[in-house]
Amino acid sequence: MSEATEIPREHELDTSWMDNMAEWGVTAKPGKRGLTLADVQIGSYADLPAISDNMTGRPRGSTPRAEAYRVGAYQVHTLSEIWLDNAEYLYEEALQRQWSSATDIPWHTLKPLPDDVEEAECLLCTFFNEVEFVAGDVPARWIARTTPDYLEARNVLSAQVMDEARHMDVFRKRALANGGGLMRMSGATSGFVGSIDLARDFTEMSTRLHISGEGAVLTMFRMGELFGQNDAEKTMYRLCAQDEARHVAFGVMHLRCLGDTAPERREEIECYLDEAEEQLIAGQQNPAGRQSESSEALAVLLGGGSQHYDEGHKKLLVIRRRQLKEYMKRVISAGFTDRFENGRSPIPAQYAATA
Amino acid sequence: MADKPSGKAASVDREAKLVDPTQGIPEPSYSWRGLTNEWGVKVLPGAHGLRLGDVNVGSYGEVPDYWADQTRRPRGSVGRPGIPPLPYSLRSKHELWADCAADLYEEAIQRRWIPATEVPWDSLEVLPVDIEKAVCQMCTELSQCANTELEIITYWQDRMSYGYFEVKQYLATATFDCARQQEVLRKRALSNGGGLGIESRGRVNRIILESSGGWTEAVVYLYLLRGTYITRLLSGLLSAAHNEAEVFIYSHMLEDHARHLTYGYDHLKYASSHGKDATLIMQTLLAVGEGHMAAELNEGVVSTAMAIIFGGGIEGARTHGMERYLLLVRDFITDYLAICQELGIEREKTLHPVFKRYLENE
Amino acid sequence: MMVVFPSEEWFQEVRQAYNSDQGLHSGGGGACDTTAGFKVGEYWYFIEFEGLECGQVRQCTEQDLEATDFILEMPLETWQAMLMDVQANGKASSNLTLNSIDLEFEDGIARSPIDDQYRQDLFYRYNQNFQDFFDASSLVETTFESQA
Ligand SMILES: [Fe+2]
Ligand SMILES: [Fe+2]
Repeated sequence: MSEATEIPREHELDTSWMDNMAEWGVTAKPGKRGLTLADVQIGSYADLPAISDNMTGRPRGSTPRAEAYRVGAYQVHTLSEIWLDNAEYLYEEALQRQWSSATDIPWHTLKPLPDDVEEAECLLCTFFNEVEFVAGDVPARWIARTTPDYLEARNVLSAQVMDEARHMDVFRKRALANGGGLMRMSGATSGFVGSIDLARDFTEMSTRLHISGEGAVLTMFRMGELFGQNDAEKTMYRLCAQDEARHVAFGVMHLRCLGDTAPERREEIECYLDEAEEQLIAGQQNPAGRQSESSEALAVLLGGGSQHYDEGHKKLLVIRRRQLKEYMKRVISAGFTDRFENGRSPIPAQYAATA
Repeated sequence: MADKPSGKAASVDREAKLVDPTQGIPEPSYSWRGLTNEWGVKVLPGAHGLRLGDVNVGSYGEVPDYWADQTRRPRGSVGRPGIPPLPYSLRSKHELWADCAADLYEEAIQRRWIPATEVPWDSLEVLPVDIEKAVCQMCTELSQCANTELEIITYWQDRMSYGYFEVKQYLATATFDCARQQEVLRKRALSNGGGLGIESRGRVNRIILESSGGWTEAVVYLYLLRGTYITRLLSGLLSAAHNEAEVFIYSHMLEDHARHLTYGYDHLKYASSHGKDATLIMQTLLAVGEGHMAAELNEGVVSTAMAIIFGGGIEGARTHGMERYLLLVRDFITDYLAICQELGIEREKTLHPVFKRYLENE
Repeated sequence: MMVVFPSEEWFQEVRQAYNSDQGLHSGGGGACDTTAGFKVGEYWYFIEFEGLECGQVRQCTEQDLEATDFILEMPLETWQAMLMDVQANGKASSNLTLNSIDLEFEDGIARSPIDDQYRQDLFYRYNQNFQDFFDASSLVETTFESQA
């Protein structure tokens, strides 16, 4: 061996950063649920700024640099705009409860169905594709607009984007796996004013997407066990319903948090709820609503064929009742009770009328 | 019903059927029945279940070069006139496509992992403070890289047309992966007596985030330039992992990242063979990008942190630690040039001088 | 060994069966944390899910359930029909799953003791775990109170 390789050259090191570490000496310990996001909310790393001045995309709690580029013009940088008390748990739950549409659905249980029933299922699948598209696209857009200081809430939205991709995919697979095909789109999810898409405020979007929209879809998916014609369909709807319940939980907890921490915004939120309720009743975005083609398809499925349409329609009314009741109770859980008592909301009357 | 009337949606008076649900049962219109472009599709699950790519059959598998429809019409379904457009700005296939997207989507789901419960956190042991600092600094850096990836993907996601939903689906998994990377890196930094480090100056993060001309442009910076480097960083960290927890973390991050690069390279391949002047544009972008990347490589933070990890401490960092890091950068540039060549992007002749110097380091 | 439903012993046996075999935890039935109650005839039971396991299940009083997330309450005949179906088929037929049964009742079978929909929604969010739990009773030789 030559001497040269035995005396390696010395390099100069820049160790200045070693004196600029953020809070040091942190040892989060795993608990019964492993090492969760809640476990690492520790010391100053748990501090959530009420207003985030992070414009450089740094991880919360790291040492800022004076010369870092301001690349993040985050629109959502006020805590009350997006926060919820259990974001860290919802995120961990989403990780724990993922599933695969390729392998967790018993596709082999699909059996040929009468034409009217297959068509009705395929129409719903087409509709749900559109619904899942919105539910994935819109939260994704808000992730990019939110300061990384609110990592936990942002991560829940990332998990939702994943969930919705899986939902979209399971409905496409169903439409193409049993002798049917996709049908005509509904167009119900397009960008009309007051729709999920066009909201320019996160909470406005969330009341519409997470509470009224996904709340209604949750009830529908749960009903999938009634109108599903085989184990594959029932499983698909049941697993989607579990995910939907998590998305609804985000909305309820966020609204609760906003109502508590930004009371000056309560009246504005009431206005969003007014709009959402109008839509819930009109039902363009609600397959169980009264104006949609998909409600006819649902009645066919619930009845078990078009020959039992009336019976199916009666069951549909039960779904609608339930949607309305659960919606009201979720809004109440979020802390907006008055509207159902002071006559502002049309939902109690509608609910009573469907008794 | 093998042959259904196809295409044209019958005009239906939607209002006519409106009846208050409390006023008895409305007569169904069935106006939706029979409206399909292709019926009779029956895809059976294979050995790996029913995968997204499996249902790309018949007209449902046809992916057009241009997708004019700005609504949320699922590909293959029948359209409905009169639906207001949404602002989908990426409507050409070459702007986002990669043939592997559907497979990567399913792979991401099959290979999902859970940092909280699957990383063997109990295997962490106290490390010498210089090493812990280096690991924590790398967690901070990589977390910021994952943040940039997350923000640029989610910026583009809802601008991508539904005709190319496979890509959107795959990107949804990449979004989730990036969130998980931020999560796991934060957990590692805060669980072994350390903490986060100093933020990155953000030179390369900046060029990625500012590449607003198109998604392909972002992919050039995000994956071809920086992503190729990150692969080398992660495999370096894996080879020098201090405990089973780190082995698990880096190896799983590496797998996720490999998927992202597969999409990225594959997309660039598609874009370079289908987009007008695409390789020339990429060449220009890279000529600029290399300068920023070179400046970032010359900053001392990552190189010192990696050298400490490779050298087993500050002392070793000055000698064999830094040598090993320099070889890592050389390997990155070698990979980078090879991929550029494969894509038909000329980089060797005008390679940035700093890159050249790293390459000459033996 | 035959065990009688409803009884604490029966729930314990099911808990053991459910915890002993991860194969009984289906896709979508991942880890969850929740406490709930069951009302079966005149008896009350408390159940807790911790991560991937059923942490505890025991007989209790109605007051013991005040802090739970939700309570499942249905007529004894419905409980029996559901479990007989599980015994016969290895798992609940689709019209006799907890979710299906919930939908058959005008007000459902789940309620939050403090009438909070957020907590009642946990029944939907963790539905698969509860279903897997009762499906695991197919491994427990069961006799019913009326027959015993
Ligand atoms: Fe969904
Ligand atoms: Fe959802």
